[in-house]
Amino acid sequence: MKGLTRRELLRAALAAGAGAAGLAACERSSTGPAAALPEWTPGAPLPWRNWSGAVRCLPKARLVPGDEAEVAALLRAGGALRPAGAGHSFSALVPCDESLVFLDRLQGVIGQDAAAKTAEVWAGTRLWQLGPALAALGQALPNQPDIDYQTLGGALATSTHGTGAGLGSLSSYVTGLALVTPAGEVLECDAQRNAEVFHAARTSLGALGVVTRVRLSNREAFRLVERSRFVPLESVLADLARERDAHPHFEFYAFPHADVALAIATDPDDGSGAPPASAGEDDPEAILLLRTLFRWTRPLPGGSWLYDTFLGMQPATARAGQSHEVLAHPRTVRFNEMEYTMPAEAGPECLRAVLAEIRARDLPVCFPIECRFVRADDVWLSMFSGRPGFSISIHQFADEDYRPYFAAIEPIFWRYEGRPHWGKLHSLDAARLAGLYPHWSDFQRVRRSLDPSGRLLNAHLAQTLGV
Amino acid sequence: MTGTLERRGLRYVLLIFLVGCTRAERAEPAVAAQLSPARALTYQSACAECHARAGTGAPAAGDAAAWTARRAQGFGVLLAHTVNGYRGMPPLGACGACSEADLRALVAYVAGLEEGAQ
Repeated sequence: MKGLTRRELLRAALAAGAGAAGLAACERSSTGPAAALPEWTPGAPLPWRNWSGAVRCLPKARLVPGDEAEVAALLRAGGALRPAGAGHSFSALVPCDESLVFLDRLQGVIGQDAAAKTAEVWAGTRLWQLGPALAALGQALPNQPDIDYQTLGGALATSTHGTGAGLGSLSSYVTGLALVTPAGEVLECDAQRNAEVFHAARTSLGALGVVTRVRLSNREAFRLVERSRFVPLESVLADLARERDAHPHFEFYAFPHADVALAIATDPDDGSGAPPASAGEDDPEAILLLRTLFRWTRPLPGGSWLYDTFLGMQPATARAGQSHEVLAHPRTVRFNEMEYTMPAEAGPECLRAVLAEIRARDLPVCFPIECRFVRADDVWLSMFSGRPGFSISIHQFADEDYRPYFAAIEPIFWRYEGRPHWGKLHSLDAARLAGLYPHWSDFQRVRRSLDPSGRLLNAHLAQTLGV
Repeated sequence: MTGTLERRGLRYVLLIFLVGCTRAERAEPAVAAQLSPARALTYQSACAECHARAGTGAPAAGDAAAWTARRAQGFGVLLAHTVNGYRGMPPLGACGACSEADLRALVAYVAGLEEGAQ
Protein backbone atom coordinates (compact mmCIF):
# COMPACT_ATOMS: atom_id res chain seq x y z
CA MET A 1 0.00 0.00 0.00
CA LYS A 2 2.87 2.37 0.76
CA GLY A 3 4.06 2.00 -2.80
CA LEU A 4 0.87 3.37 -4.31
CA THR A 5 0.49 7.03 -4.95
CA ARG A 6 -2.65 8.89 -4.04
CA ARG A 7 -3.53 9.31 -7.68
CA GLU A 8 -3.18 5.60 -8.33
CA LEU A 9 -5.50 4.90 -5.44
CA LEU A 10 -8.00 7.42 -6.68
CA ARG A 11 -7.91 6.03 -10.18
CA ALA A 12 -8.72 2.62 -8.79
CA ALA A 13 -11.62 4.00 -6.83
CA LEU A 14 -12.97 5.99 -9.74
CA ALA A 15 -12.57 3.16 -12.19
CA ALA A 16 -14.37 0.78 -9.92
CA GLY A 17 -17.09 3.17 -9.07
CA ALA A 18 -17.90 5.14 -12.13
CA GLY A 19 -16.27 4.13 -14.84
CA ALA A 20 -19.01 48.10 5.82
CA ALA A 21 -19.25 51.55 6.65
CA GLY A 22 -19.24 53.94 9.68
CA LEU A 23 -16.47 55.21 11.90
CA ALA A 24 -13.83 52.94 10.49
CA ALA A 25 -10.29 54.16 10.83
CA CYS A 26 -9.04 51.55 8.39
CA GLU A 27 -11.24 52.04 5.39
CA ARG A 28 -10.43 49.97 2.38
CA SER A 29 -10.08 46.28 1.91
CA SER A 30 -10.97 43.69 -0.66
CA THR A 31 -12.87 40.54 0.06
CA GLY A 32 -13.87 37.87 -2.39
CA PRO A 33 -12.83 34.64 -4.02
CA ALA A 34 -9.07 34.55 -4.22
CA ALA A 35 -9.08 34.30 -7.99
CA ALA A 36 -10.92 37.61 -8.23
CA LEU A 37 -8.28 39.56 -6.33
CA PRO A 38 -5.28 41.08 -8.10
CA GLU A 39 -2.08 39.09 -8.01
CA TRP A 40 1.12 40.62 -6.71
CA THR A 41 4.11 40.94 -8.99
CA PRO A 42 7.65 41.79 -7.90
CA GLY A 43 8.12 45.48 -7.44
CA ALA A 44 4.52 46.22 -6.53
CA PRO A 45 3.58 47.27 -2.98
CA LEU A 46 3.33 44.24 -0.75
CA PRO A 47 -0.26 43.41 0.21
CA TRP A 48 -1.48 41.59 3.28
CA ARG A 49 -3.70 38.58 2.53
CA ASN A 50 -5.34 36.05 4.76
CA TRP A 51 -4.75 32.29 4.71
CA SER A 52 -7.46 31.55 2.18
CA GLY A 53 -6.39 34.46 0.00
CA ALA A 54 -9.86 35.97 -0.09
CA VAL A 55 -9.19 38.99 2.14
CA ARG A 56 -6.61 41.59 1.22
CA CYS A 57 -5.35 45.04 2.07
CA LEU A 58 -2.38 47.28 1.40
CA PRO A 59 -1.03 48.48 4.75
CA LYS A 60 1.27 51.46 4.83
CA ALA A 61 3.19 49.93 7.73
CA ARG A 62 3.82 46.53 9.22
CA LEU A 63 4.74 47.03 12.87
CA VAL A 64 6.55 44.20 14.64
CA PRO A 65 7.32 45.28 18.20
CA GLY A 66 10.05 43.47 20.07
CA ASP A 67 8.63 43.84 23.56
CA GLU A 68 5.59 45.08 25.42
CA ALA A 69 7.03 48.57 25.83
CA GLU A 70 7.30 48.87 22.07
CA VAL A 71 3.68 47.75 21.72
CA ALA A 72 2.66 50.49 24.12
CA ALA A 73 4.78 53.06 22.32
CA LEU A 74 3.34 52.38 18.92
CA LEU A 75 -0.19 52.57 20.32
CA ARG A 76 0.61 55.88 21.97
CA ALA A 77 1.91 57.13 18.66
CA GLY A 78 -1.62 57.36 17.34
CA GLY A 79 -3.07 56.55 13.94
CA ALA A 80 -5.27 53.77 12.72
CA LEU A 81 -4.11 50.24 13.24
CA ARG A 82 -5.28 46.69 13.51
CA PRO A 83 -3.67 43.84 15.41
CA ALA A 84 -3.05 40.91 13.12
CA GLY A 85 -2.43 37.33 14.18
CA ALA A 86 -1.35 34.66 11.74
CA GLY A 87 -3.98 35.76 9.24
CA HIS A 88 -6.08 32.63 9.39
CA SER A 89 -9.44 34.38 9.85
CA PHE A 90 -11.77 34.24 6.89
CA SER A 91 -13.67 37.34 7.94
CA ALA A 92 -12.19 40.77 7.28
CA LEU A 93 -11.05 41.42 10.85
CA VAL A 94 -7.53 42.45 9.90
CA PRO A 95 -7.54 44.72 6.83
CA CYS A 96 -6.28 48.22 7.48
CA ASP A 97 -4.62 50.60 5.05
CA GLU A 98 -2.64 52.31 7.79
CA SER A 99 -0.78 50.01 10.19
CA LEU A 100 -0.93 46.33 11.02
CA VAL A 101 0.58 45.17 14.29
CA PHE A 102 2.13 41.72 14.49
CA LEU A 103 3.35 39.98 17.63
CA ASP A 104 5.66 37.65 15.75
CA ARG A 105 8.54 38.62 18.04
CA LEU A 106 6.51 37.98 21.18
CA GLN A 107 6.40 34.20 21.21
CA GLY A 108 6.80 31.41 23.70
CA VAL A 109 6.08 30.52 27.29
CA ILE A 110 6.96 33.25 29.78
CA GLY A 111 6.49 31.26 32.98
CA GLN A 112 4.47 28.60 34.68
CA ASP A 113 2.93 27.53 37.94
CA ALA A 114 3.58 23.82 37.93
CA ALA A 115 1.30 23.10 40.87
CA ALA A 116 -1.64 25.06 39.52
CA LYS A 117 -0.99 23.90 35.95
CA THR A 118 -1.05 27.40 34.58
CA ALA A 119 1.28 29.04 32.12
CA GLU A 120 1.79 32.60 30.95
CA VAL A 121 2.32 32.75 27.22
CA TRP A 122 3.09 35.52 24.74
CA ALA A 123 0.09 36.13 22.53
CA GLY A 124 2.17 35.92 19.36
CA THR A 125 2.82 32.21 19.95
CA ARG A 126 1.46 30.03 17.20
CA LEU A 127 -0.76 27.24 18.41
CA TRP A 128 1.28 24.60 16.61
CA GLN A 129 4.25 25.64 18.70
CA LEU A 130 2.30 26.00 21.91
CA GLY A 131 1.43 22.31 22.27
CA PRO A 132 5.03 21.08 22.32
CA ALA A 133 6.10 24.00 24.50
CA LEU A 134 3.48 23.18 27.13
CA ALA A 135 4.23 19.47 26.88
CA ALA A 136 7.81 20.23 27.80
CA LEU A 137 6.44 21.64 31.05
CA GLY A 138 4.19 18.66 31.63
CA GLN A 139 1.13 20.72 30.71
CA ALA A 140 -1.41 20.73 27.91
CA LEU A 141 -4.35 22.78 26.76
CA PRO A 142 -7.55 21.07 27.94
CA ASN A 143 -8.80 21.29 24.37
CA GLN A 144 -7.75 22.92 21.14
CA PRO A 145 -9.02 23.54 17.62
CA ASP A 146 -8.38 21.16 14.78
CA ILE A 147 -6.37 23.83 12.99
CA ASP A 148 -3.33 25.18 14.79
CA TYR A 149 -1.84 27.74 12.43
CA GLN A 150 -3.25 30.67 14.41
CA THR A 151 -1.49 32.78 16.97
CA LEU A 152 -2.79 32.40 20.49
CA GLY A 153 -3.87 36.04 20.48
CA GLY A 154 -5.79 35.66 17.23
CA ALA A 155 -7.46 32.46 18.35
CA LEU A 156 -8.61 34.07 21.58
CA ALA A 157 -9.86 37.21 19.84
CA THR A 158 -12.26 35.05 17.84
CA SER A 159 -13.21 32.50 20.51
CA THR A 160 -11.67 29.69 18.53
CA HIS A 161 -12.59 26.25 19.82
CA GLY A 162 -12.33 22.51 19.46
CA THR A 163 -15.01 19.96 20.24
CA GLY A 164 -16.23 18.42 23.48
CA ALA A 165 -19.49 18.97 25.29
CA GLY A 166 -17.66 19.26 28.58
CA LEU A 167 -14.90 21.49 27.25
CA GLY A 168 -14.82 25.19 26.53
CA SER A 169 -13.32 27.40 23.87
CA LEU A 170 -9.74 28.56 24.22
CA SER A 171 -10.98 31.87 25.62
CA SER A 172 -12.72 30.10 28.47
CA TYR A 173 -9.37 28.83 29.80
CA VAL A 174 -7.84 32.30 30.05
CA THR A 175 -7.48 33.34 33.69
CA GLY A 176 -5.56 36.53 33.12
CA LEU A 177 -4.16 38.71 30.36
CA ALA A 178 -2.26 41.89 29.62
CA LEU A 179 -3.96 44.36 27.32
CA VAL A 180 -2.13 47.31 25.83
CA THR A 181 -4.89 49.83 25.36
CA PRO A 182 -5.20 52.28 22.47
CA ALA A 183 -3.85 54.90 24.86
CA GLY A 184 -0.72 52.84 25.34
CA GLU A 185 -1.45 51.73 28.89
CA VAL A 186 -0.69 48.17 29.92
CA LEU A 187 -3.66 46.77 31.83
CA GLU A 188 -3.28 43.60 33.86
CA CYS A 189 -6.67 41.95 33.78
CA ASP A 190 -8.30 39.01 35.49
CA ALA A 191 -11.51 38.25 37.34
CA GLN A 192 -10.49 40.67 40.10
CA ARG A 193 -8.37 43.33 38.40
CA ASN A 194 -10.02 45.32 35.61
CA ALA A 195 -12.65 42.62 35.60
CA GLU A 196 -14.92 44.18 32.97
CA VAL A 197 -12.03 44.62 30.58
CA PHE A 198 -11.05 41.03 31.28
CA HIS A 199 -14.50 39.70 30.40
CA ALA A 200 -14.47 41.72 27.19
CA ALA A 201 -10.85 41.08 26.20
CA ARG A 202 -10.96 37.31 26.38
CA THR A 203 -12.79 37.50 23.05
CA SER A 204 -12.19 41.00 21.77
CA LEU A 205 -12.15 40.83 17.95
CA GLY A 206 -9.00 42.87 18.37
CA ALA A 207 -11.15 45.92 19.05
CA LEU A 208 -9.92 46.82 22.52
CA GLY A 209 -6.17 47.13 22.02
CA VAL A 210 -3.42 44.55 21.73
CA VAL A 211 -3.42 41.53 24.03
CA THR A 212 0.23 40.74 24.61
CA ARG A 213 0.32 38.12 27.37
CA VAL A 214 -2.16 35.43 28.41
CA ARG A 215 -2.34 33.21 31.46
CA LEU A 216 -3.83 29.84 30.58
CA SER A 217 -5.43 27.33 32.90
CA ASN A 218 -4.07 24.06 31.60
CA ARG A 219 -4.06 20.46 32.72
CA GLU A 220 -1.39 17.82 32.97
CA ALA A 221 -0.04 16.59 29.65
CA PHE A 222 -2.13 13.71 28.38
CA ARG A 223 -2.47 11.26 25.58
CA LEU A 224 -5.49 10.70 23.39
CA VAL A 225 -6.69 8.12 20.94
CA GLU A 226 -8.93 9.21 18.11
CA ARG A 227 -11.26 6.65 16.55
CA SER A 228 -13.23 7.39 13.44
CA ARG A 229 -15.79 5.48 11.51
CA PHE A 230 -18.23 6.04 8.69
CA VAL A 231 -21.78 5.42 9.73
CA PRO A 232 -25.24 6.36 8.45
CA LEU A 233 -25.94 9.98 9.26
CA GLU A 234 -29.27 9.08 10.78
CA SER A 235 -27.65 6.70 13.22
CA VAL A 236 -25.29 9.45 14.38
CA LEU A 237 -28.15 11.84 14.92
CA ALA A 238 -30.25 9.22 16.68
CA ASP A 239 -27.43 8.40 19.09
CA LEU A 240 -26.02 11.89 19.37
CA ALA A 241 -26.65 12.61 23.03
CA ARG A 242 -25.04 9.38 24.13
CA GLU A 243 -22.00 9.81 21.89
CA ARG A 244 -21.63 13.45 22.92
CA ASP A 245 -21.57 12.52 26.58
CA ALA A 246 -19.57 9.32 26.28
CA HIS A 247 -16.39 10.90 24.92
CA PRO A 248 -14.39 13.95 26.01
CA HIS A 249 -14.23 14.95 22.38
CA PHE A 250 -16.86 13.98 19.85
CA GLU A 251 -17.63 15.49 16.48
CA PHE A 252 -18.93 14.37 13.15
CA TYR A 253 -18.81 15.38 9.54
CA ALA A 254 -21.92 15.26 7.39
CA PHE A 255 -21.45 14.95 3.65
CA PRO A 256 -23.57 17.02 1.28
CA HIS A 257 -25.50 14.82 -1.13
CA ALA A 258 -24.76 11.68 0.88
CA ASP A 259 -26.43 9.83 3.71
CA VAL A 260 -23.32 8.94 5.63
CA ALA A 261 -21.33 10.74 8.27
CA LEU A 262 -17.86 10.39 9.67
CA ALA A 263 -18.09 10.09 13.46
CA ILE A 264 -14.93 10.93 15.38
CA ALA A 265 -14.61 10.04 19.04
CA THR A 266 -11.48 10.99 20.94
CA ASP A 267 -10.76 9.53 24.36
CA PRO A 268 -7.90 9.16 26.82
CA ASP A 269 -5.40 6.73 25.37
CA ASP A 270 -5.58 3.66 27.53
CA GLY A 271 -2.83 1.81 25.75
CA SER A 272 -4.92 1.35 22.67
CA GLY A 273 -1.99 0.40 20.52
CA ALA A 274 -3.34 2.68 17.82
CA PRO A 275 -0.85 3.95 15.28
CA PRO A 276 1.00 7.02 16.47
CA ALA A 277 -0.38 10.30 15.26
CA SER A 278 3.16 11.53 14.77
CA ALA A 279 3.94 8.92 12.15
CA GLY A 280 0.84 8.92 10.03
CA GLU A 281 0.41 9.58 6.37
CA ASP A 282 -0.50 12.93 5.01
CA ASP A 283 -1.59 14.11 1.61
CA PRO A 284 -2.41 17.71 0.90
CA GLU A 285 -4.21 16.65 -2.24
CA ALA A 286 -6.67 14.40 -0.43
CA ILE A 287 -9.68 16.68 -0.29
CA LEU A 288 -9.07 17.64 -3.90
CA LEU A 289 -9.37 13.99 -4.80
CA LEU A 290 -12.68 13.86 -2.97
CA ARG A 291 -13.83 16.75 -5.13
CA THR A 292 -12.75 14.86 -8.22
CA LEU A 293 -14.72 11.83 -7.10
CA PHE A 294 -17.76 13.96 -6.44
CA ARG A 295 -17.57 15.60 -9.84
CA TRP A 296 -17.14 12.28 -11.62
CA THR A 297 -20.00 10.52 -9.95
CA ARG A 298 -22.43 13.45 -9.84
CA PRO A 299 -23.56 13.46 -13.50
CA LEU A 300 -23.76 9.68 -13.79
CA PRO A 301 -27.02 7.74 -13.60
CA GLY A 302 -26.95 6.38 -10.09
CA GLY A 303 -23.96 8.58 -9.34
CA SER A 304 -25.39 9.70 -6.04
CA TRP A 305 -25.76 6.08 -4.97
CA LEU A 306 -22.20 5.33 -6.04
CA TYR A 307 -20.86 8.33 -4.15
CA ASP A 308 -22.80 7.42 -1.06
CA THR A 309 -21.71 3.82 -1.30
CA PHE A 310 -18.06 4.71 -1.61
CA LEU A 311 -18.25 6.86 1.46
CA GLY A 312 -20.12 4.29 3.47
CA MET A 313 -17.70 1.45 2.84
CA GLN A 314 -14.70 3.10 4.41
CA PRO A 315 -13.07 1.26 7.29
CA ALA A 316 -12.68 2.53 10.82
CA THR A 317 -9.35 4.02 11.79
CA ALA A 318 -7.53 5.09 14.92
CA ARG A 319 -4.55 7.23 15.81
CA ALA A 320 -2.97 8.07 19.14
CA GLY A 321 -0.48 10.47 20.62
CA GLN A 322 -0.02 13.54 22.78
CA SER A 323 -3.15 15.68 22.90
CA HIS A 324 -1.74 18.40 20.67
CA GLU A 325 -0.70 15.82 18.10
CA VAL A 326 -4.11 14.17 17.96
CA LEU A 327 -6.43 17.16 18.21
CA ALA A 328 -4.76 19.22 15.49
CA HIS A 329 -4.79 18.38 11.80
CA PRO A 330 -2.86 20.13 9.08
CA ARG A 331 -5.08 21.74 6.45
CA THR A 332 -2.93 22.23 3.42
CA VAL A 333 -5.79 22.55 0.96
CA ARG A 334 -7.09 26.06 1.47
CA PHE A 335 -10.75 26.95 1.77
CA ASN A 336 -13.17 29.58 2.99
CA GLU A 337 -15.48 28.86 5.87
CA MET A 338 -18.67 29.98 7.55
CA GLU A 339 -19.56 28.70 11.01
CA TYR A 340 -22.51 29.39 13.24
CA THR A 341 -23.08 28.07 16.72
CA MET A 342 -26.62 27.19 17.60
CA PRO A 343 -28.03 26.40 21.02
CA ALA A 344 -26.97 22.81 21.59
CA GLU A 345 -30.46 21.36 21.47
CA ALA A 346 -31.23 23.03 18.13
CA GLY A 347 -28.12 21.86 16.34
CA PRO A 348 -29.29 18.58 14.83
CA GLU A 349 -32.48 20.08 13.44
CA CYS A 350 -30.48 22.95 11.98
CA LEU A 351 -28.08 20.51 10.35
CA ARG A 352 -30.97 18.63 8.75
CA ALA A 353 -32.26 21.92 7.35
CA VAL A 354 -28.84 22.76 5.93
CA LEU A 355 -28.48 19.40 4.23
CA ALA A 356 -32.04 19.61 2.89
CA GLU A 357 -31.37 23.06 1.44
CA ILE A 358 -28.25 21.83 -0.31
CA ARG A 359 -30.25 19.04 -1.91
CA ALA A 360 -33.24 21.20 -2.71
CA ARG A 361 -31.08 23.75 -4.50
CA ASP A 362 -28.84 21.04 -5.90
CA LEU A 363 -25.83 23.04 -4.78
CA PRO A 364 -22.67 21.53 -6.29
CA VAL A 365 -20.78 21.25 -3.01
CA CYS A 366 -18.96 18.31 -1.51
CA PHE A 367 -16.83 19.77 1.28
CA PRO A 368 -17.80 17.90 4.46
CA ILE A 369 -19.80 19.83 7.04
CA GLU A 370 -18.23 19.80 10.47
CA CYS A 371 -20.41 19.56 13.59
CA ARG A 372 -18.95 20.15 17.04
CA PHE A 373 -19.99 20.64 20.65
CA VAL A 374 -18.69 23.30 23.02
CA ARG A 375 -19.46 23.97 26.68
CA ALA A 376 -21.09 27.22 27.79
CA ASP A 377 -18.87 29.95 29.18
CA ASP A 378 -19.04 33.44 30.67
CA VAL A 379 -16.95 35.25 28.07
CA TRP A 380 -18.98 38.23 26.90
CA LEU A 381 -18.58 37.82 23.15
CA SER A 382 -17.85 34.13 23.01
CA MET A 383 -20.25 32.25 20.73
CA PHE A 384 -20.83 30.05 23.77
CA SER A 385 -21.63 32.84 26.16
CA GLY A 386 -24.29 31.61 28.52
CA ARG A 387 -25.30 28.58 26.53
CA PRO A 388 -23.73 25.32 25.32
CA GLY A 389 -23.25 25.30 21.60
CA PHE A 390 -23.54 23.07 18.57
CA SER A 391 -21.31 24.53 15.88
CA ILE A 392 -21.89 23.82 12.20
CA SER A 393 -19.13 24.72 9.76
CA ILE A 394 -19.56 24.85 6.02
CA HIS A 395 -16.59 25.20 3.69
CA GLN A 396 -15.84 25.91 0.08
CA PHE A 397 -12.54 25.41 -1.71
CA ALA A 398 -10.50 28.59 -1.90
CA ASP A 399 -10.39 28.39 -5.69
CA GLU A 400 -14.19 28.38 -5.91
CA ASP A 401 -16.69 31.14 -5.22
CA TYR A 402 -18.05 30.54 -1.75
CA ARG A 403 -20.69 33.26 -1.94
CA PRO A 404 -23.66 31.46 -3.55
CA TYR A 405 -23.32 28.50 -1.18
CA PHE A 406 -22.86 30.53 1.97
CA ALA A 407 -25.63 32.96 1.04
CA ALA A 408 -28.03 30.08 0.60
CA ILE A 409 -27.23 28.51 3.94
CA GLU A 410 -26.68 31.49 6.23
CA PRO A 411 -30.39 32.33 6.68
CA ILE A 412 -30.94 28.83 8.02
CA PHE A 413 -28.46 29.51 10.79
CA TRP A 414 -30.34 32.70 11.64
CA ARG A 415 -33.59 30.77 12.09
CA TYR A 416 -31.94 28.76 14.85
CA GLU A 417 -30.48 31.72 16.74
CA GLY A 418 -27.03 30.97 15.42
CA ARG A 419 -24.08 33.08 16.48
CA PRO A 420 -21.38 33.51 13.82
CA HIS A 421 -17.78 32.58 14.49
CA TRP A 422 -15.97 35.92 14.55
CA GLY A 423 -13.09 34.66 12.46
CA LYS A 424 -15.30 33.12 9.80
CA LEU A 425 -17.52 34.56 7.12
CA HIS A 426 -20.88 36.01 8.04
CA SER A 427 -23.03 38.97 7.10
CA LEU A 428 -24.66 39.92 10.39
CA ASP A 429 -24.52 43.52 11.53
CA ALA A 430 -24.67 45.00 15.00
CA ALA A 431 -28.43 45.31 15.07
CA ARG A 432 -28.86 41.58 14.70
CA LEU A 433 -25.86 40.57 16.76
CA ALA A 434 -27.03 42.60 19.72
CA GLY A 435 -29.98 40.30 20.19
CA LEU A 436 -27.78 37.23 20.29
CA TYR A 437 -25.40 38.27 23.06
CA PRO A 438 -26.56 39.09 26.60
CA HIS A 439 -23.45 41.16 27.21
CA TRP A 440 -23.40 42.97 23.87
CA SER A 441 -23.96 46.40 25.38
CA ASP A 442 -21.41 45.70 28.12
CA PHE A 443 -18.78 44.95 25.51
CA GLN A 444 -19.70 48.08 23.58
CA ARG A 445 -19.35 50.18 26.70
CA VAL A 446 -15.89 48.82 27.41
CA ARG A 447 -14.85 49.30 23.79
CA ARG A 448 -16.01 52.91 23.75
CA SER A 449 -14.14 53.64 26.95
CA LEU A 450 -10.90 52.20 25.59
CA ASP A 451 -11.08 53.39 22.00
CA PRO A 452 -13.51 56.32 21.79
CA SER A 453 -12.21 57.50 18.43
CA GLY A 454 -12.34 54.08 16.80
CA ARG A 455 -8.66 53.87 15.91
CA LEU A 456 -8.81 50.09 15.98
CA LEU A 457 -11.87 49.74 13.79
CA ASN A 458 -11.86 48.77 10.16
CA ALA A 459 -14.87 48.65 7.89
CA HIS A 460 -15.81 45.10 8.85
CA LEU A 461 -15.62 45.82 12.56
CA ALA A 462 -17.51 49.08 12.22
CA GLN A 463 -20.37 47.21 10.61
CA THR A 464 -20.15 44.31 13.04
CA LEU A 465 -20.10 46.55 16.09
CA GLY A 466 -22.43 49.20 14.72
CA VAL A 467 -20.04 52.08 15.20
CA MET B 1 -7.49 -6.44 -5.39
CA THR B 2 -9.72 -3.83 -6.93
CA GLY B 3 -12.00 -3.93 -3.98
CA THR B 4 -9.09 -3.43 -1.66
CA LEU B 5 -7.94 -0.47 -3.67
CA GLU B 6 -11.40 0.98 -3.63
CA ARG B 7 -11.48 0.85 0.10
CA ARG B 8 -7.98 2.06 0.59
CA GLY B 9 -8.28 4.74 -2.03
CA LEU B 10 -11.35 6.31 -0.56
CA ARG B 11 -10.06 5.81 2.89
CA TYR B 12 -7.11 7.93 2.06
CA VAL B 13 -9.13 10.44 0.13
CA LEU B 14 -11.35 11.08 3.08
CA LEU B 15 -9.74 10.05 6.28
CA ILE B 16 -6.44 11.68 5.61
CA PHE B 17 -8.17 15.01 5.27
CA LEU B 18 -10.76 14.62 7.93
CA VAL B 19 -9.06 12.71 10.65
CA GLY B 20 -5.92 11.13 9.38
CA CYS B 21 -3.92 14.26 8.61
CA THR B 22 -1.55 13.31 11.29
CA ARG B 23 1.15 15.42 12.73
CA ALA B 24 4.26 14.11 11.15
CA GLU B 25 7.42 14.77 13.06
CA ARG B 26 8.36 18.39 12.81
CA ALA B 27 11.99 18.48 12.05
CA GLU B 28 13.93 21.39 13.36
CA PRO B 29 16.62 21.86 10.76
CA ALA B 30 19.51 24.07 11.55
CA VAL B 31 18.71 27.59 10.48
CA ALA B 32 21.12 28.75 7.83
CA ALA B 33 23.70 31.28 8.73
CA GLN B 34 22.43 33.74 6.18
CA LEU B 35 19.21 34.35 8.12
CA SER B 36 19.28 37.10 10.69
CA PRO B 37 17.99 36.17 14.16
CA ALA B 38 14.67 37.86 13.43
CA ARG B 39 14.27 36.02 10.15
CA ALA B 40 15.36 32.78 11.76
CA LEU B 41 12.53 33.23 14.25
CA THR B 42 10.13 33.82 11.37
CA TYR B 43 11.39 30.71 9.67
CA GLN B 44 10.77 28.65 12.79
CA SER B 45 7.28 29.97 13.46
CA ALA B 46 5.95 30.27 9.92
CA CYS B 47 7.98 28.48 7.23
CA ALA B 48 8.86 25.43 9.33
CA GLU B 49 5.19 24.65 9.88
CA CYS B 50 5.18 23.05 6.44
CA HIS B 51 8.70 23.18 5.04
CA ALA B 52 10.29 21.35 7.96
CA ARG B 53 7.60 18.73 8.37
CA ALA B 54 7.15 15.56 6.42
CA GLY B 55 3.88 14.78 4.75
CA THR B 56 2.52 18.24 4.11
CA GLY B 57 3.33 18.21 0.42
CA ALA B 58 5.54 21.25 0.80
CA PRO B 59 9.10 20.83 -0.46
CA ALA B 60 11.38 20.57 2.52
CA ALA B 61 13.86 23.29 3.23
CA GLY B 62 17.25 22.18 2.09
CA ASP B 63 15.96 19.28 -0.03
CA ALA B 64 17.93 19.99 -3.17
CA ALA B 65 16.09 17.43 -5.27
CA ALA B 66 12.69 18.81 -4.35
CA TRP B 67 13.72 22.31 -5.32
CA THR B 68 15.53 21.74 -8.60
CA ALA B 69 12.51 22.09 -10.87
CA ARG B 70 11.02 24.83 -8.76
CA ARG B 71 14.18 26.90 -8.84
CA ALA B 72 14.22 26.55 -12.62
CA GLN B 73 11.05 28.64 -12.76
CA GLY B 74 13.02 31.61 -11.57
CA PHE B 75 13.19 33.43 -8.30
CA GLY B 76 10.44 35.84 -9.31
CA VAL B 77 7.97 33.01 -9.71
CA LEU B 78 8.87 31.52 -6.33
CA LEU B 79 8.50 34.91 -4.70
CA ALA B 80 5.16 35.63 -6.40
CA HIS B 81 3.85 32.21 -5.34
CA THR B 82 4.88 33.00 -1.81
CA VAL B 83 3.19 36.39 -1.72
CA ASN B 84 0.02 35.40 -3.54
CA GLY B 85 -0.29 31.90 -2.15
CA TYR B 86 0.02 28.86 -4.33
CA ARG B 87 -1.86 25.60 -3.83
CA GLY B 88 -1.31 24.74 -0.17
CA MET B 89 1.09 27.63 0.32
CA PRO B 90 -0.74 30.39 2.18
CA PRO B 91 -0.25 33.98 1.04
CA LEU B 92 2.92 35.58 2.37
CA GLY B 93 4.08 32.17 3.51
CA ALA B 94 1.99 32.57 6.66
CA CYS B 95 4.09 35.60 7.59
CA GLY B 96 1.94 38.68 7.31
CA ALA B 97 4.56 40.62 9.19
CA CYS B 98 7.21 40.02 6.57
CA SER B 99 8.50 42.73 4.29
CA GLU B 100 9.44 41.94 0.71
CA ALA B 101 13.08 41.84 1.80
CA ASP B 102 12.20 39.32 4.52
CA LEU B 103 10.35 37.16 2.03
CA ARG B 104 13.17 37.29 -0.47
CA ALA B 105 15.64 36.11 2.16
CA LEU B 106 13.34 33.38 3.44
CA VAL B 107 12.44 32.09 -0.03
CA ALA B 108 16.11 31.95 -0.91
CA TYR B 109 16.87 30.07 2.28
CA VAL B 110 14.04 27.55 1.99
CA ALA B 111 14.75 26.96 -1.71
CA GLY B 112 18.44 26.51 -1.02
CA LEU B 113 19.57 29.43 -3.12
CA GLU B 114 22.79 31.25 -2.55
CA GLU B 115 22.55 34.55 -0.77
CA GLY B 116 22.13 37.24 -3.37
CA ALA B 117 20.61 34.89 -5.92
CA GLN B 118 17.33 36.75 -5.56
